[in-house]
Amino acid sequence: MGFVWISALKDLRRLRREPVTILAWLAIPTFVAVILTLVFGPRGSGPHGTLLIVDEDRALGATMLTNAFHQGALANMLTVEQVTQAEGRRRLDRADASALIVIPAGFSMSFVTRQPVTVDLIRNPAQRVLPDIIEESLAIMLDRAASFQSASGTPAIRLEANIIADKSEQPGGFAAILLPGALFMSVFFIAGALAADMWRERTSGALRRIASTPVHFGAFVAGKLLASAVIFAVVGAFGLMAAQVLMHLQIASYPAAILWISVSGCGLYLLMMLVQSAASSERVASMLTNLVTLPLVMLGGGFIPFEWMPRGFARLGQWTPNGWCVMQLRALLAGSPHVWTFAAAIAAVAIAWLVSVRTVRRAAC
Amino acid sequence: MLKSVMVEVEHLRKQYGDLTAVHDVSFTARDGEIFGLLGPNGAGKTTTIGCISTLLTPTSGSIRVMGCDVIKDSIQARRSMGVVPQEIALYDDLSAEENLSYWGGAQGLRGAPLKERIREVLNLTGLFDRAREPVKQFSGGMKRRLNFACGIVHRPKVLLLDEPTVGVDPQSRVRLLDLVREQARAGACVLYTTHYMEEAETLCDRLAIVDQGRICAQGTLQELRAMLGERDVLRLSGTFHPEQVREALTRIEGVEVIHADEAQLALAMPDASHRLPLIFAALNGSDLRGTTLTQPSLESLFIKLTGSELRE
Repeated sequence: MGFVWISALKDLRRLRREPVTILAWLAIPTFVAVILTLVFGPRGSGPHGTLLIVDEDRALGATMLTNAFHQGALANMLTVEQVTQAEGRRRLDRADASALIVIPAGFSMSFVTRQPVTVDLIRNPAQRVLPDIIEESLAIMLDRAASFQSASGTPAIRLEANIIADKSEQPGGFAAILLPGALFMSVFFIAGALAADMWRERTSGALRRIASTPVHFGAFVAGKLLASAVIFAVVGAFGLMAAQVLMHLQIASYPAAILWISVSGCGLYLLMMLVQSAASSERVASMLTNLVTLPLVMLGGGFIPFEWMPRGFARLGQWTPNGWCVMQLRALLAGSPHVWTFAAAIAAVAIAWLVSVRTVRRAAC
Repeated sequence: MLKSVMVEVEHLRKQYGDLTAVHDVSFTARDGEIFGLLGPNGAGKTTTIGCISTLLTPTSGSIRVMGCDVIKDSIQARRSMGVVPQEIALYDDLSAEENLSYWGGAQGLRGAPLKERIREVLNLTGLFDRAREPVKQFSGGMKRRLNFACGIVHRPKVLLLDEPTVGVDPQSRVRLLDLVREQARAGACVLYTTHYMEEAETLCDRLAIVDQGRICAQGTLQELRAMLGERDVLRLSGTFHPEQVREALTRIEGVEVIHADEAQLALAMPDASHRLPLIFAALNGSDLRGTTLTQPSLESLFIKLTGSELRE
């Protein structure tokens, strides 16, 4: 264990001599939090979307229903457009709107004559938050209308929602949706930069030299891992704090979230180390890193949250290493930590460490 | 007092696919001795050192360091070794003291003994005054000295030095060579690879001349010189017909043609200066452009053994 500390201290000391690097790493999550705050407001006022309404009724009841979406908070959130059914379907297929409401012909008359009537809602499967809001708002409006209509009879208006996307809603607002992905984006970039240090050590001959000492090569890699864990914990804590201050992010357990960022960051670091050790030169290693990092960051919710991705991409992204880390961080922030998640991550890190020790030593010699 | 064998290499062979980097190399080195591996780049010196230092696994053969088999008992073997690689294997952003502390830690030194030894080694290498400066501010020579210091911080009984003076200015080279001698005087067994003839001649107690993965000759400097005989080496450059020239020159008494091709001739003979008129007469008709006369030296032996000059 002694040399693990020595090795970790060596890397932390070296890093301390590069304050610009540290500042840049701390700046990434802060910068992301500031940008998100500027875009969505400190409380996450949410993105703006389009609601398409097909008014086949063209009477008072339909107009009242349409107008309801022009009022209050909904007006800030939604641009309501009246379209034909065919156009509405076409635009929704192109993911050009959050939802489509079809008010059938005779809706108003049915309301007056207390006849059963169905209002269709078709959600954009690529989105989650806005379709949810539209669905819930429409349900409330129709409920009220139905209760008025059925004051002396059976309720007759029925909402037919065509729900395609799954409904697991993320508590904690937009910060909770956007921040984990952004945080892991910076963790991934830092992991790549830290792993690149292996090439500096390889080129200088330090790796060969350490391999010729009696110390186990695993202790050397473990030391580097420990130093990385500290860096990820600091960056994670800083990012979460920035998100809490700027975006009022709700964090159920600070220690659990920071521990998670640190442990999963170590996994990503080892992944990048393996990628780098497969390269034949430092330049190839850098190219490989970018080749791996950028698609994974994009798929893993770094740039775009899963909720805003097409369903297939979102599913795929959630099973990328960083995407999985993002999903677990969200769960942790929401207060549902899973012991098995940590156990799985620690097991993955241990396996990656074992593989790295062999691979990096072979590359060094 | 009889010196004990510290490094024992027997029939070492290292193969990379079809390329044999080291072919049937055997030698022994004793305590207090500087044993040199002299040869051009690509001769297999670094590969040999790599196998001894346990970085590379030999294809066949055996290596014992202080009696420990380096394959079966690599950790124990590494404990007695100090390696000074060809590269400057240091952390540029750490100070000399921090580098020594790190490499000493890797060798199992801790606490007060480590601090004490760091001070000693810094004094020995003349870096004490610059101990707290980042290594990136050091000159090339200072970095080489620190590289050496990191290899001896744990007082190794076997010191492996792989071309430690490459790219070093003459002053720093002298200082480094003194440091190496000091280690041998203190009882360490030093294995030293180099492609500098003068360095090998002035530093090493015993030498092995290596070319293309094989040991061509080994022994003390006197033993190696005796192999050549007390003869001068005359090298001629120009345009020659090798067969004709060989025939003409062998008629001159005492002249041995050790190498002949279209552009170069190398001749060994006693008292070459007196034979020059005869040689030039024999070469009449050749386009002669340059002549170099060399007294018996390792270089002469190298040319004799390998048929070529020691190239960098």
